Amino acid sequence: MAVDMRLPTIKTSMSLSVPAAGRKDLVVPGDVITSDTGFMRGHGTYVDEDKLTASVAGEVQRVDKLICVRPLKTRFNGEVGDVVVGRITEVQQKRWKVETNSRLDSVLLLSSVNLPGGELRRRSAEDELTMREYLHEGDLISAEVQSVFSDGALSLHTRSLKYGKLGQGVLVQLSPSLIKRQKTHFHNLPCGASIILGNNGFVWLYPTPGQQEQEAGGFYTSLEPVSLSDREVISRLRNCLLALAAHKVLLYDTSVLYCYESSLQHQVKDILKPEVMEEIVMLTQQKLLEQEG
Amino acid sequence: MATAQVSEAEKVYILHGIRDDLRVDGRGCEDYRHMEVETDVVSNTDGSAKVTLGHTAVLVGVKAEIGKPRPMIPDEGYLEFFVDCSANATPEFEGRGGEELGTELSNTLYKVFNNQHSLDLRSLCISPGEHCWVLYVDVLLLQCDGNLYDAISVAIKAALFNTKIPKVHISSDDEGGKEIELSDDPYDCMRLDVENVPCMVTLCKIGHRHVVDVTLQEKACSVASLVISVTHKGVITCTRKVGRGSLDPESICEMTEAGKRVGKALHSPLMKLLQQEESLGKKRQKVGFLG
Amino acid sequence: MAGLELLTDQGYRLDGRKASELRKFQARMGVFAQADGSAYLEQGNTKALAVVYGPHEIRGSRSRALHDRAVINCQYSMATFSTAERKRRPHGDRKSTEMSLHLKQTFEAAVMTQLFPRSQIDIYVKILQSDGGNYSVCVNAATLAVIDAGIPMRDYVCACTVGFVDETPLADLCYAEESGGVSSLALALLPRGGQIALVQMDARLHQDHLETLIEAAMTACKGVSKVLDEVVRQHLQEASVHSRE
Repeated sequence: MAVDMRLPTIKTSMSLSVPAAGRKDLVVPGDVITSDTGFMRGHGTYVDEDKLTASVAGEVQRVDKLICVRPLKTRFNGEVGDVVVGRITEVQQKRWKVETNSRLDSVLLLSSVNLPGGELRRRSAEDELTMREYLHEGDLISAEVQSVFSDGALSLHTRSLKYGKLGQGVLVQLSPSLIKRQKTHFHNLPCGASIILGNNGFVWLYPTPGQQEQEAGGFYTSLEPVSLSDREVISRLRNCLLALAAHKVLLYDTSVLYCYESSLQHQVKDILKPEVMEEIVMLTQQKLLEQEG
Repeated sequence: MATAQVSEAEKVYILHGIRDDLRVDGRGCEDYRHMEVETDVVSNTDGSAKVTLGHTAVLVGVKAEIGKPRPMIPDEGYLEFFVDCSANATPEFEGRGGEELGTELSNTLYKVFNNQHSLDLRSLCISPGEHCWVLYVDVLLLQCDGNLYDAISVAIKAALFNTKIPKVHISSDDEGGKEIELSDDPYDCMRLDVENVPCMVTLCKIGHRHVVDVTLQEKACSVASLVISVTHKGVITCTRKVGRGSLDPESICEMTEAGKRVGKALHSPLMKLLQQEESLGKKRQKVGFLG
Repeated sequence: MAGLELLTDQGYRLDGRKASELRKFQARMGVFAQADGSAYLEQGNTKALAVVYGPHEIRGSRSRALHDRAVINCQYSMATFSTAERKRRPHGDRKSTEMSLHLKQTFEAAVMTQLFPRSQIDIYVKILQSDGGNYSVCVNAATLAVIDAGIPMRDYVCACTVGFVDETPLADLCYAEESGGVSSLALALLPRGGQIALVQMDARLHQDHLETLIEAAMTACKGVSKVLDEVVRQHLQEASVHSRE
């Protein structure tokens, strides 16, 4: 039995990096970014009287002639090839609807999943009737964005062995802007657990699968109890993710791992106390800066 | 959100964790999440408090108004409860969506707090049979992340502690009628004795264990829960079963014991905190929603 | 005008402000973690909490979905303890319904809804403490919440309630002034383009004065926009520090 009760305090922002004050690349809605007409209009901008104007508050990003404004916090804006973690909300004819933190529910077509029995198997009417046996409401999946519909809804696919239904583990829902884009979003962390950092801000923590389980793949999920030591690692990682997110630190395998290491001197349940969070995030940032050199 | 969805495998993971006394966030079965309490947040009430427990946030305002005592008990004042499940907490509560939950909560609160044992209702009486103080306790749910009862009861206790009722002077005029005069001096006020005000503890039966302060994900795995209100002496003043499942008598006994232990331990840190805040007085920087 | 002198000969108001002076602003963005966007705003003693959910899939009947833009859904409510005399219902009365509708119209003018076809954006505003200018404070709080949610807007929406006393327009009325029989006007402005998103006036005023009053309201709104701008920039700097490497 433990109760931790206290008075709230005003949080002061702590910073190791360059003070942000006076940064020119931060804009607010209505700010004119440029009146040069040679630029292309990207997300978060609009053209008003020939001037490229910001429509969200965030930082300006320039890629060649394309100008975008990336807001600090937003729903997931999916692009082809993004890795997502999502939850099935509805089973419809020939498709599943998936909640992926986007502005519309995403779609997973029956034809975009690998059914048991090999890739070249034809989909019969029977498969349509047994869709709920593969995935039903509430199930979690990992998938990749296959295409984007004209209204902005995402079409997903799981046609690879690394994607598919998720088994035992913990889901952490964070802001998509905190996830760093990387070559791979699947990591087996050396601390003894695995992580899927979905581009949509959904992060899945699970015990690192053994060899034979991986081969079983697909729709089979093991319901065998996870060992206590694995659980502790997963819980610690979960709290570390929340601590990093609370202090707006970009998430990728290294930052998560450093945070995990910094947290080891504390008990898992203490990590979420404000002063402990601050301490371990501070340590993490120090380590990240050192590593950068 | 008022409810959370979890898949079968996630459920199994949560269940096994609770069996091993290691929950998803690293807590044991009888641990509370980090809780923050602040009083005097809304200035046009007579007493107010804000409590956050994990992501759950509630705001309680107490307004004292002069009313007529209930005919059956002419020498006591009374409390009225209203729980506003606002759409701010979750879009599901929009329009009339939160009314059902609000009524359920406010009825329970009425039973738990509106009696002579938890609060000295006689002190709320101004003149028997004619005038008494009615305390309107309004609860505003700002965010739901499980364990509403516990958070609300702590907030109510804190708000009642913070409540300042102006002193009343009764004078008779020539025709024998009574005139009520409220004191203008903000320091000339009556405080309530909250020592016996109970706190509520919700115990969820998950697997074979009883868990306090459940998150929404854990709640989705539980069949039923028991709400127990406990005073600082460990006296149980109310129990009620909530949720759709059923409980067997033995586990109710066990849960009551556990609830008694946990509930008793809630009071002393709370009172210490409230007194600490009071002693800091104006020196303390108000946080409210600006933290 | 009942007894109270709303504007002294020296040009001071009940609470000691000058005629065109705004009340003190205190604000914070990102108050709640579960919502997509949230903000808390104090304007003098009026305190409001705004929460934004979305854009997300339409809830309830799909037929409400618009094929070319997002549906904006607003609910205005007041905490039962927010007013001097206790309110019996937080929302659902005629005045709150009207306020919700006004909010909806105001934000439909500002949010770039055409970017999110078939989806829905919820804006919920709650008055925690009411001391005049509820509509304006709600709009300002909601603007901050929408920005926090990263939803594209043409510009800020800034609102202000102004009154007219002794041939002088008063900016940002408090409750005592609002109830003191002043003819008041609420105006929501998109400050950069000078576009008016909403104007509402329920009192009697000579036509000749209307222009001065609207002029004063627009100036006041521009003042509000400066304050909000500071709040957003401050938030942006605090919150974006660590997301860079």
